[in-house]
Amino acid sequence: MGTTQRNFSVVGKGAHVKDAREKVTGSLKYAVDLKVQNMASGKILRCPHPHAKIVRIDTSKAEALPGVLGVLTHEDVPQNDWESAWFNYRGKALDGTGRFVGDDIAAVAAQSEEIAEHALELIDVEYEILPHVLDMEKARESGAPEIRCEGNERDPYIVKWGDTDEGSAQADFTVDCDIFYESQQYAPLGRNACIAEWLGDKVTVWTSSQTPSELRDGVHEALGIPLSKVRVMAMPCGSSFGQWWSNNFMIITVLLARKIRQAVKIELTNEECMATVKRRHLERTRGKMGCTKDGQITFAQIDHLIDNGGYGFKDDVGFFCVDMWGKARNGHYAVHGINTNLVTAGCMRGVGDCTLGASVERLADRLAEKADMDPVDFRIKNQIVAGDELRMQHSRDNMKGNRDAYIASIPPHLRKDWPELFHLSAGGTRAILERGAEAFRWKERWKGWATPHTVDGPLKRAVGVGTGAHVCGVEFEGSSSAMVRINPDGSAKVHCAVGRQGRGSETTQCQVAAEELGLPLDMIEIETGDTDSCPWNHGSLASSTMYRTGWATRAASNDARRQLLEIAAREFFDGIAPEELDITDGEIHPKEEPRSNRRFTFSQVLNELRSETLGQTSSITGRPAVPMPPSTTFARQFGAQFAEVEVDVETGKIKILDFVAVQDSGTVVNPQVLKNQVIGGAICGAGFAIYEHLVFDEETGAIKNANLLDYKLLRCADFPHQAQVLFEESPDPVGPFGARGAGESPIAAGISAVSQAVYNAIGVWVDLPMTPERVVRALNAA
Amino acid sequence: MTMLKVNNRTLEVTSRPDRTLADVLRNDLGLIGVRVSCSEGECGSCTVLVGGEPCTSCLMLVNQAEGQDITTIEGIGSQDDLHPIQQAFIEEQGFQCAFCTPGFIMSAKAFLAENPNPTADEVSVAMSGNICRCGAYPYIVRSVLRAAEKLRKSSGQQAAE
Repeated sequence: MGTTQRNFSVVGKGAHVKDAREKVTGSLKYAVDLKVQNMASGKILRCPHPHAKIVRIDTSKAEALPGVLGVLTHEDVPQNDWESAWFNYRGKALDGTGRFVGDDIAAVAAQSEEIAEHALELIDVEYEILPHVLDMEKARESGAPEIRCEGNERDPYIVKWGDTDEGSAQADFTVDCDIFYESQQYAPLGRNACIAEWLGDKVTVWTSSQTPSELRDGVHEALGIPLSKVRVMAMPCGSSFGQWWSNNFMIITVLLARKIRQAVKIELTNEECMATVKRRHLERTRGKMGCTKDGQITFAQIDHLIDNGGYGFKDDVGFFCVDMWGKARNGHYAVHGINTNLVTAGCMRGVGDCTLGASVERLADRLAEKADMDPVDFRIKNQIVAGDELRMQHSRDNMKGNRDAYIASIPPHLRKDWPELFHLSAGGTRAILERGAEAFRWKERWKGWATPHTVDGPLKRAVGVGTGAHVCGVEFEGSSSAMVRINPDGSAKVHCAVGRQGRGSETTQCQVAAEELGLPLDMIEIETGDTDSCPWNHGSLASSTMYRTGWATRAASNDARRQLLEIAAREFFDGIAPEELDITDGEIHPKEEPRSNRRFTFSQVLNELRSETLGQTSSITGRPAVPMPPSTTFARQFGAQFAEVEVDVETGKIKILDFVAVQDSGTVVNPQVLKNQVIGGAICGAGFAIYEHLVFDEETGAIKNANLLDYKLLRCADFPHQAQVLFEESPDPVGPFGARGAGESPIAAGISAVSQAVYNAIGVWVDLPMTPERVVRALNAA
Repeated sequence: MTMLKVNNRTLEVTSRPDRTLADVLRNDLGLIGVRVSCSEGECGSCTVLVGGEPCTSCLMLVNQAEGQDITTIEGIGSQDDLHPIQQAFIEEQGFQCAFCTPGFIMSAKAFLAENPNPTADEVSVAMSGNICRCGAYPYIVRSVLRAAEKLRKSSGQQAAE
């Protein structure tokens, strides 16, 4: 049931990840572990004020300190804006203004980190204190302190269909909400460092990054030098989840190294990682939703604010919950991005779908209770199925005006084999909800809304369900590409700049290439970090690695295979049509005769290329021949999760007792890799639901808990070890061997499952994170 | 000069009194498997065994470890000769980014020495001194249970021989 059986040789198999031995022996090198010869240490001077302009900066004492090699200030820096992917940063490397406590002001390079730290204290800065604003609602008022020259608020991002007034009139039940979300921190385990080294006018940058190509673009923009002079070598990341893309400290490292004409390494402290780079947005949803007596949602009216901090520039948060709950008859969603004098906010795992998505789930749950419906049934009734129209159809800059103009602008020969645009191409939530409900024994364990199944003194136990959606990669910033090279010995190498975020995509990309090429997995290696050898790639973000890069890896492999079979057909099979050949275990043979003795290895074919007559090259390079279809217009991932919790109504402590996560990400390329991603998402979501939040100083916005002692993360015993992950594999018409994106819907589903379970246990909705204090307060207020 | 006994070798390091054991192991001895993240003993990434006991080496000054047997992840197995716990972590994929993995494996080693036949609940509690931000916890528990089984088998074999 639910699994499409297909005959794959490598895909779907639980291959151990390729770097497993390096990982368990501690020999994997992250950027913090790398050293280059004659490398100086850099440190960054940070702004002590929430908003201040440098009037005068005197670096002479710092420069006179023995061991100091140079000081970089805004006066040394080209005043070009650079941008990180998805508007996670827009600004100059240094521009003489600090926009949050901890903002980058200047940098020192010295012979040792200790000397650099000492030198920071010797830099004399005179600031003009500027008025500041920490609250996003105040930041959008007229007369608010101006944080950015573009103004503090972006144009709203609006998704609408039907007429919400009509929908409101049709509703038998209506609920509203005003929910504020605290900010989750990536709280990375493993810090980051950046090393930059110039040779002449060319620079090489080593850092842990999920987006090597975007970082190369950022260096090019910030410094105004040709892309050809920038080489990024992305190293493996510790847990990143959106934090390590292209970050300003990397640009500063490049500039500092250029100034002192020597390699520099800047290694961030744990506190710097947590307080100066980025975090999830603070968000607020005000919304209304209504349904009929039989549980049909008639309208959703949502107004959602996100705070971008100092340098974020987002106008939307990628809320694919709008598509998941797309059977609502009418809808109006508006998202407003607003700058504040807080540390920059950016995309963290499941951006938008963890917050706005949780608001929509909560509104829907409250309606389901009024309509006296089971939350599983209510979801099935109101959530999307394959073939339904998507709601995300708003014209955006990259969509050439509107939907029809956009479709018309695509050459017909390209789109003839594409799925129907603006409709869900595969999947949905029905199958995962039904599968999960069965595995979790939902019907037995759910005793109705606000009804615990067990009460044991102060301990109340109940179950909850949540659903989450997200995109499967985005095409707006460019088409992610890959290249596959078959070497003369018959081995192959995949080149795709997705970095190494850590969850096993090096292995899964190789599995895709192995399946397409007919090669054993151990004959394929991969390069994911070097922008000099890889074509442009959006990177590992927006759940795109398997879907969009996997598509490109498969297309490149297919191109290499085609070239190889053409040569084989001509040179070894008497000029038969290449389509009549096939490859098994690295040997080429006639398709109709898989056991034929007439079979040739890749290396036999490639060595034929070395003859005088055919000697154009001795290796084959494959590339995608056409662009990948624009997947935001048809592909989504979905997760449904079921949680059992125990709430102590005296202490407010929540314990998660049982968990089932069901995921539909199409064909599963590597089950254990995907299980890890799904359960990791669920745990990150559960952590956001019950513990995690940054604490900002009310006066200055400085982060007060930028360390792992005061910022609480779930630990092993905080999550049930018997948690189950199940897959529904609705095959995707476009993704490699039917696979889709996976990494971000699980966190969204986890938040709502835990949140609803707590409500069912205690009968009160608690704001997130549901810390013991908040649970007790909510109970007292009820 | 300080003499440290690390992974069965006696090594000489220059040490100022304010240097941590983690700093010396990583930067003087090149033992990068000693991962440093929080620097305050919370995350457990830098866990090493000192006299057989698990210690967060970011909080220990180097002189405190002098004269004791120090074991890091590099001392228990190599890529060509994995320790059974390392093998078990691979088989159950008890990691994603793996920044925390050496710390978990060292904690597991100390725990299994005390409790060679643990229940899943006991493993879960014992592994709670370390943090895995990727959230591989259920698979870490399975890894440690599988490691326990491997170790019991191999010690059983040794006893039989």
